Amino acid sequence: MFKAQQQSKFEPSRDNLAVQIQRLNYFFGAGDLSKQVLFDISLELPKGQIVILTGPSGSGKTTLLTLAGALRRLQEGSLRVLGQELVGLGDRALVNIRRNIGFIFQAHNLFESLTASQNVEMAVELTGDFASKRQQAVAMLSALGLDDRVDYKPQSLSGGQKQRVAIARALVNHPKLILADEPTAALDKKSGRDVVNYLHNLSREEGCTVLMVTHDNRILDVADRIINLVDGRLESDSSLNAFVQSKTKDSLTDISADMFIM
Amino acid sequence: MLKRIPLAWLNLTHDRRRFATSLAGVGFAVLLMFMFNGFMNALYDSQLQLLNRLNGEIIIVNRLRTNMFVPRAFARRRLYQARAFAGVQNAYAVYISEVNWKNPENRKSRGVRVIAINPDEPVLNIPEIDTHRQALKLPETALMDTQSRAEVGPVEAGVISELADRQIRLVGTFTMGTDFASGNGNLLMSDQNFLRYFADRGPEEAERSFATVDVGVVKLDPGTNINRIVKTLQENLPNDVLVLARDGENGFVIRERKYWQENTNIGFVFSLLTSMGFFVGIILVYQILYTDVADHWAEYATLKAMGYRNGYLLGVVLQEALILSVLGFIPGVLVSQLLYTAAGNATGLFFQMTPERVMNLLIATFIMCLLSGAIAVRKVQTTDPAEVF
Ligand SMILES: Nc1ncnc2c1ncn2[C@@H]1O[C@H](COP(=O)(O)OP(=O)(O)OP(=O)(O)O)[C@@H](O)[C@H]1O
Ligand SMILES: [Mg+2]
Repeated sequence: MFKAQQQSKFEPSRDNLAVQIQRLNYFFGAGDLSKQVLFDISLELPKGQIVILTGPSGSGKTTLLTLAGALRRLQEGSLRVLGQELVGLGDRALVNIRRNIGFIFQAHNLFESLTASQNVEMAVELTGDFASKRQQAVAMLSALGLDDRVDYKPQSLSGGQKQRVAIARALVNHPKLILADEPTAALDKKSGRDVVNYLHNLSREEGCTVLMVTHDNRILDVADRIINLVDGRLESDSSLNAFVQSKTKDSLTDISADMFIM
Repeated sequence: MLKRIPLAWLNLTHDRRRFATSLAGVGFAVLLMFMFNGFMNALYDSQLQLLNRLNGEIIIVNRLRTNMFVPRAFARRRLYQARAFAGVQNAYAVYISEVNWKNPENRKSRGVRVIAINPDEPVLNIPEIDTHRQALKLPETALMDTQSRAEVGPVEAGVISELADRQIRLVGTFTMGTDFASGNGNLLMSDQNFLRYFADRGPEEAERSFATVDVGVVKLDPGTNINRIVKTLQENLPNDVLVLARDGENGFVIRERKYWQENTNIGFVFSLLTSMGFFVGIILVYQILYTDVADHWAEYATLKAMGYRNGYLLGVVLQEALILSVLGFIPGVLVSQLLYTAAGNATGLFFQMTPERVMNLLIATFIMCLLSGAIAVRKVQTTDPAEVF
């Protein structure tokens, strides 16, 4: 694996990596029915990066995301998430890792019986911070432009608002890593754009790493880096500039764009 | 503010209509258990109503009278002999006989039980005897049990009909209830009247006189040791009678209950039916909980992805089970209470809802809901958070 020269200057150790994947293989099924879906994946995500993962359907994007999220057990290779090696961890330890990750799903998966605020508070309760859970939830919902909707139940929210509540739930504990699988797929163009912008702003403010699967070309511009997965193999890994030659964005500095070309 | 979000409660009650249906389901299972259990207890308890009204600490019966259904009398001499012992205040006679009563409205004959006592003696704890003492002393009068079956016709003072083909007049009523030995109802009369009807009923029927007694009721001086007197009487009276304390573990009342428990299928049949109610409940509650878990599958899986453990989700499902059991129990027990009254009126049986029985069924309902919860929870535990992506 080739790494740009500058990288060693800025990142002397792997402590600056949010995710480090080495020689990962993954199979579904066992025995004769076993089918390999991920082949020899090696990938490093530095802290603070917004990475978009694209690729054809069935190429293994979701599988890779769930592995990084400690939702599946590793079979071959090594996977470090937020400084912790996942190989060999027990169930309890894996659950603890998950608490530091924000998951955003294609479906919002909000409890219909809970208000927007309560849905977000469910996440805060995991930290044991009961006294300020409501404050934290309201603050996060307000940051996502939902300050007038905190006590609404999901059935009286629009699709975009529901997805923003789900994002608030994922972000309220200030996770260092956010994993999002097609977060805009169920939304119209405008609300999809809004959601991605919120994600982008919050990532910049919180300095957290975002790994997002999307087929939506309209939102590629928020990415620092775009990874393409084809048939379970890393096909390309490039800066936005390289990926979309025609587009140049001021927000992406040359350093961050070029640093991670492999 | 320091409280957890009551997810179980909110999920259960979010859909009001479904919640109401769920409670009705649990309530129905509770009702089934109460009814079957109620019938079983009513059949047993009813056998004891006459026994519980005998006004004495010690009971004397013919040794062969293993239960009240057996028409065996003993010599009245035994009561005189018993009176001679220190500590015995008095010994009263109860005469019992089965006989036909003619329904005054449709002229059909029905078997009833006649209970006879000396109205001047406090033999039975039935306050109506005191009220109607003078009338009972008149010839051919009696009191009728208001709990008698409808077949006996109207039960009120002034009814004139026939008993053992002889005229009889009801001078009042009392309230007791039927049992296996009482036929269609109970009549209460004076011993003098008893003699009028039963001294000579023709060649086929046994002749009754004051020489033989069905149940002897022994009243002790206050503060006397009951068990000691029971022992003394049993040792000193001839062996043809059995002397028992009325109450207590080895007493007359418990003996009667045990007889019916051990010699009939009542217990088996009704326990089986009660447990059917229990299993219907398990299935109903399982359905409710399973539907909740299945409907919120993605949400529960998301909770797992966020870092909630199986234990938390298990707690949510079990809390739902407990909420259902408590809140479903309340309508169940209230409706059962109404049905107990209705069933008691229809059958003349003695339906009793004691705190102990209510507690037992509440515990059964808890167990019912927890078992269903334990089965339903496996669905949550196998929920794979990787599947929601
Ligand atoms: N639970 C599973 N058991 C067996 N095979 C699976 C399972 N989940 C996914 N697969 C297979 O693994 C491969 C990769 O699936 P994955 O869901 O990771 O693809 P994807 O890139 O996310 O596709 P899409 O863009 O359609 O969401 C596919 O061929 C799929 O059929
Ligand atoms: Mg996918």
